Amino acid sequence: MTRTLLVTGAGGVGKTTIAAACGVVAARAGLRTLVVTVDPARRLASALGIASLADEPLPHEEEPGLWAAMLDSSASWRAVAMRHADPDVAGRLASNEFFRAASEHFPASQSYAAADQAVTYVQARAWDLVIVDTPPSGGGIDFFSAPAQMADLVGGRLLRWLTGGPLPGRRFFYNRAARPVLRIADSILGSDLLERVSEFLLDLRTTYDGVARRGREIEGVLRDSSILVVTTTDPAPVSEAVRFYRELPGLASTPTAVIFNRALPDRWVAFEDHDSLSPQIQHIVESWSAETLRQRDVREEFSARYGAKVATIPWSSKPLTKLDGLAGLIEVSEGIPWEEILPTDAAG
Amino acid sequence: MSTNILEKRLVIVSGKGGVGKSAVAAGMALLAQRHGLRVLAVEMASPGGVATHLSSGPLDFEPRELRPGLHAMRMVRSEALLEYLALQLKLPGMGRFGAVARAFDALATAAPAVREIITIGKVLWEVREDRWDMVVADAPPTGQIGSYVRAPISIAELVPTGRIRGQSAWMGETLGDPATTELLLVTLPEELPTTETVETMSWLAKEQLVPAPRIIANRVLPPIKEKASPPGVPGEMVQLHRSLWKEQQTWLEKLPADLQIPFLFGLFTPGEVAARMSDELEALT
Repeated sequence: MTRTLLVTGAGGVGKTTIAAACGVVAARAGLRTLVVTVDPARRLASALGIASLADEPLPHEEEPGLWAAMLDSSASWRAVAMRHADPDVAGRLASNEFFRAASEHFPASQSYAAADQAVTYVQARAWDLVIVDTPPSGGGIDFFSAPAQMADLVGGRLLRWLTGGPLPGRRFFYNRAARPVLRIADSILGSDLLERVSEFLLDLRTTYDGVARRGREIEGVLRDSSILVVTTTDPAPVSEAVRFYRELPGLASTPTAVIFNRALPDRWVAFEDHDSLSPQIQHIVESWSAETLRQRDVREEFSARYGAKVATIPWSSKPLTKLDGLAGLIEVSEGIPWEEILPTDAAG
Repeated sequence: MSTNILEKRLVIVSGKGGVGKSAVAAGMALLAQRHGLRVLAVEMASPGGVATHLSSGPLDFEPRELRPGLHAMRMVRSEALLEYLALQLKLPGMGRFGAVARAFDALATAAPAVREIITIGKVLWEVREDRWDMVVADAPPTGQIGSYVRAPISIAELVPTGRIRGQSAWMGETLGDPATTELLLVTLPEELPTTETVETMSWLAKEQLVPAPRIIANRVLPPIKEKASPPGVPGEMVQLHRSLWKEQQTWLEKLPADLQIPFLFGLFTPGEVAARMSDELEALT
């Protein structure tokens, strides 16, 4: 059976690198592993063997057992909705300006498309482990709430709000003079905007059954996945990590562990023996010592408050251009609960 | 054109998520207040971002005075919409608009330009008010900022007639006027924020919707002048510092900053961070 590992967190904390590093380690432990990522940094993409824009999983040339795929970041649920639409509805949707706008700008759009694609790989049963580097949009939590948001958009709640009543047919709009909502909207937005949007939503609604069924499949896979939350000790990503611990148990499952990236070693805390050092070096030492102490406080508070398993990856500035560098990152990490992530026969 | 940021009526602060955008926005508001300006800080994205840095509890849609001359508010789309409808339609009894507001809210989901014009429009209405000398917007991150500054044009394309189309013209002009508007892009000297900022800048240069932004690089390490490395733990620290500094310099060369804000080591409260930011931003006056 295929296990799924979701690597999530705010943007810019090293999530993609860590997802890739986990992939190398799993492949070297003998698992057929697919790493799915969105828009990795160029150096990382080439280390992962996905320098080209392939959204098909390709085997890595130098690493047996490792596959990589990069999701097209401009992919949207447009394709998903079209898949579930009748031919004539699909034709109307394809030429509708709101459909295009909504599929590009709907907040959870990119996340939904990514979740849908990732689940397709999980269901293919071609890998032992599928690692998904979740897109950072909406702080990353969008990835988990996207199926429900998508069903909401398609399901007619918006349509009811838009027209202020029970689900209307197209005839609703002939009665314009009698509906103050329509008259007010007309005066502000021009005469037919509301009507054009409603027609689009009526068409979209015909795809509801298919979209909702797929949404439940996606949610099922997310619930059975292991989740690693990646953060640094900076305030913004930490508050995102807190959100994952608060909200994921309701949306998917409780995170398996939180990984603090760019960690400084505990032996740097309160380093005082610097009489022999020059004033500038003394200042540097005091600065990093204070930073190490702050980091440790943040990690300890997080662990105590959310009952989280805490792992660390040391701060290094070495650019990770090689697979060995990625694997080395995991070698120097501490506290990642592999036994909960990898299929049992391969753990350790 | 004056380069003194205190002469601008609208300062929009954006940047990739997690680079310290809210801290810079709060610091900007503090700086203007210290110079005797009447300031409104608007939390458009990341609820609580400005509030924590100004040592305030959660903000409301109604501006609240946090210290003499400095007000702050949180953008709430539904309330901005209700206010707009009440002002535009000049009808008493806001409660009657519940259905209209919900309809607009649904519309805003399906027609994104509507969503963005409501919030950026509210900010621009405040810029017009005599009540404020400066409005500071803690704006959405760089990934979304384009659709906000383009909202007036998008609306004009989407809506052929109607009141909101008429208003989109002055909104676009206000955003594009270099005497009125300043855009600050906050970044870090690292690969992903640099790449994203460079992309945003080339999009902005192409679209010409807002004056050329100024770049603020946050968390910049100081150079170590000494060549030698001490043994033991201090040596490890110096080594990490040097290699991080070198890495930062390569990104600062790719994207030169108008202002570099130093890395703050150790424990600082959000209020202390904002105060430091406001001192550093003095360089833009």
